[in-house]
Amino acid sequence: MFGWFKNFSAPSALRAAGVLGMNARNFHVIAKYNSRKLYPLVDDKVLTKTLANNIGISTPKLIGKIEFQYEVKNILDIIGDNKEFVIKPAQGSGGKGVLVITNYQDGIFTTASGRKITYKEVYQHISNILSGLYSLGGKYDKAIVEELVHFSDVFKDYSYQGVPDVRLIVYKGYPIMAMTRLPTKASGGRANLHQGAVGVGLDIQTGRALHGVLNNMPITHQPDTGADLLQIQVPFWKEHLFIGALAYDMTGLGYLGADIVLDARKGPMMLELNARPGLAIQIANGVGLRSRIKEVDKYYPSGLSAEERVEFVLNYKRAK
Amino acid sequence: MLRNLASVRGILTILLVLAVIFAGYGIYYKIRYWGFSFTPGQNTNLWSVEAHISFMPTGEPIKVTLTTPRSNDAFKILEENVIAPDYKVKRNSSGSLLTLTSAPKEGEQNLYYKIMLFDNVDTKGKVKAPQPEAPALPVFDEQKMAAAKQILKLAQKQDGDAVAQVIKLLNQEPLDPAVQAYLPVKCTQTQKVEIISELLALKKIPSRAARGFRLEESKKALTPDLMLEAYIDGTWKIYDIKTGKKGLPDNFVLFQRGGKSLIDVMGGEDSVIKFSVLKSVTSTMNLAGQRAELAGNKSWFDYSIYNLPLAEQNTLKWLSIFPLAILIIVLMRNVVGVQTMGTFTPMLISMALIKTGFGPGLICFSFIIFIGLLIRSLFSKLNLLLVPRISAVVIVVILMMQALTIFGYQLKLDIASSAVFFPIIITAWIIERASITWEEDGPANAGKEIIFSILVAIIVYFVISSEYIRHIMFAFNELNLVILILVMLLGTYTGYRLLELKRFHPLAKD
Repeated sequence: MFGWFKNFSAPSALRAAGVLGMNARNFHVIAKYNSRKLYPLVDDKVLTKTLANNIGISTPKLIGKIEFQYEVKNILDIIGDNKEFVIKPAQGSGGKGVLVITNYQDGIFTTASGRKITYKEVYQHISNILSGLYSLGGKYDKAIVEELVHFSDVFKDYSYQGVPDVRLIVYKGYPIMAMTRLPTKASGGRANLHQGAVGVGLDIQTGRALHGVLNNMPITHQPDTGADLLQIQVPFWKEHLFIGALAYDMTGLGYLGADIVLDARKGPMMLELNARPGLAIQIANGVGLRSRIKEVDKYYPSGLSAEERVEFVLNYKRAK
Repeated sequence: MLRNLASVRGILTILLVLAVIFAGYGIYYKIRYWGFSFTPGQNTNLWSVEAHISFMPTGEPIKVTLTTPRSNDAFKILEENVIAPDYKVKRNSSGSLLTLTSAPKEGEQNLYYKIMLFDNVDTKGKVKAPQPEAPALPVFDEQKMAAAKQILKLAQKQDGDAVAQVIKLLNQEPLDPAVQAYLPVKCTQTQKVEIISELLALKKIPSRAARGFRLEESKKALTPDLMLEAYIDGTWKIYDIKTGKKGLPDNFVLFQRGGKSLIDVMGGEDSVIKFSVLKSVTSTMNLAGQRAELAGNKSWFDYSIYNLPLAEQNTLKWLSIFPLAILIIVLMRNVVGVQTMGTFTPMLISMALIKTGFGPGLICFSFIIFIGLLIRSLFSKLNLLLVPRISAVVIVVILMMQALTIFGYQLKLDIASSAVFFPIIITAWIIERASITWEEDGPANAGKEIIFSILVAIIVYFVISSEYIRHIMFAFNELNLVILILVMLLGTYTGYRLLELKRFHPLAKD
């Protein structure tokens, strides 16, 4: 009984650590800085992609989109010569409904996990997307087909199938916290922590690994590959931060999560934006978001351009 | 950002205080004037007392005067009827005197006066009243005065207060010689009361006769019992004139206090008054309207739930428990931090559990979910589209309910037949969502969500299944206003959720 309670902290201890709770996030941050009318900008991935390309953020190339059921049969025409691609819902969340095809040949689709599926199953998957199975609130949705990201070798040893990405938390245009999410066997190749992916907190100024976390517990090595998580150093870090800073300019969301993948040839690309990013990133960083938010409110200037904000973050001397 | 929060919270806190004050007053008001209570299923005894007056007219104009009880702190009158054909019925201004007049008549006259009383038990024979005038000293000659004083002196040796002492002395077995000399040879109860009153007057204690009935379920004619009321310390206290015992005996209703006689017949002879008493029981809530009317706030009552037809009342009674259930859901989600399937799903499950009974409902529900998940996993192999698929699950749930109910009936298993009370659509959605969570996030997450949902449902169930809580939320429905403000206040709760204390434990600084 007492052993069980030992795993609980006093609220004062969490407050001292600057931890942001769900209620505080919703009340003080999201309700305040994320106007509801801005949500469609990030909920619809096709729209997000268009906006991103307009402002100069690179994203995986859109191969095509399917809006209506009668269009589903055109899928092979849309795919064309592409051998590898991703099919996903335009309004999905949490990696739901993402179908990664690593090889398409002779009518056989090979998924990221190596499973071979047929046209019929792909057709079915797209139908499910359109009928709203994966969208927020079960609304009718679009399916988008985009090019597959060839993630950088940097992550090769750290990821079991799937696409590892970098999640940035951007507050008032300043990237304030970062982590990389590594798919595991348990997560089924998906990069969501609650599905069993590994989260590794990254130093916001350098992109170096800080802590690893799996299912809310500290971890030092990737469970499937055994690689030392603390050796991670994300390259092109400044470019990552710049995408996050630009995402603020693009959407106006005061608090957002930017998911960025590092393509081996094209560098960092924005996958999607999230208007209510989760709080697990705090555990991966061993630092509370509340303290970072207070820091921004107190010391960071307003009215800077995206470049200037990134420079400010990189050069900011945090009192230790 | 903090100032904004403080002002919202400040306003809500003020509103909460106002709501609590309002609810507090409402509760006081309903208890005081409508007779509501915190315990459910309260019954009130209704006593109907019938006076049957019969006499032979003498051929002169007839005038019958009857002392009748009025509503007071000791009891309330539900109904009053006079059955006296061809008589003119008149009341004096205070209503305590009923006068029936008629032209000369022939043949035996039978008049009935019927009264229904309730709430007669509350005061336990003590009635607050303003100080009456000091009793007039009896006119005694010297010799009698001396005897009276001696008796009062003797009385002091008895137990009890001054009144009880005198009564006890006058009822001693055998009587003290001095008392025997003082009392008339054949002393009637009425005379005894008069003598006691005179003696008490010497001690400056006002007193008077009172009449009432030992309420027993008998249709036999009763004669009213005489009691003595004495004014002590600002209240009229009642004494049994045979034993000197203070307070109303059990099941006793006082019919008349003070006054000389119950009935006075002019123009008639051989008048007889017979009383009969009947007891009936009615729910306390049913009398609320009468109480409200007596307290002079009928219109308030007319616009309350309790004046609606019973069917509407029952529906509203069911509804008025919802806010409390919602409050629990809010607490569980925003303060404890439990994730459930759908916000109000647990509440709907618990509502169904109320109808089915806890154990049977839970077993039956788990069974439906289990079989539903099995069938749903077959469906997912068929790759149906979303809307047809969920529709198919709904139909499967309906079929399962039918099958369970039929088998339950045939096998005499009550458990199975409770299936029919579960909300079909909600059950289908639970199956659908659990199945998707199962596929997407693994069986552990799906199981966790189902278990948490059922856990919250059980907690809600235990709160709303309490007869007491249901009664209180209905009888004192202004509490729902307090809950409304509480829920809004919880909307400004930005502290950590209970489960976050565990989740973020690794971050805590020692």
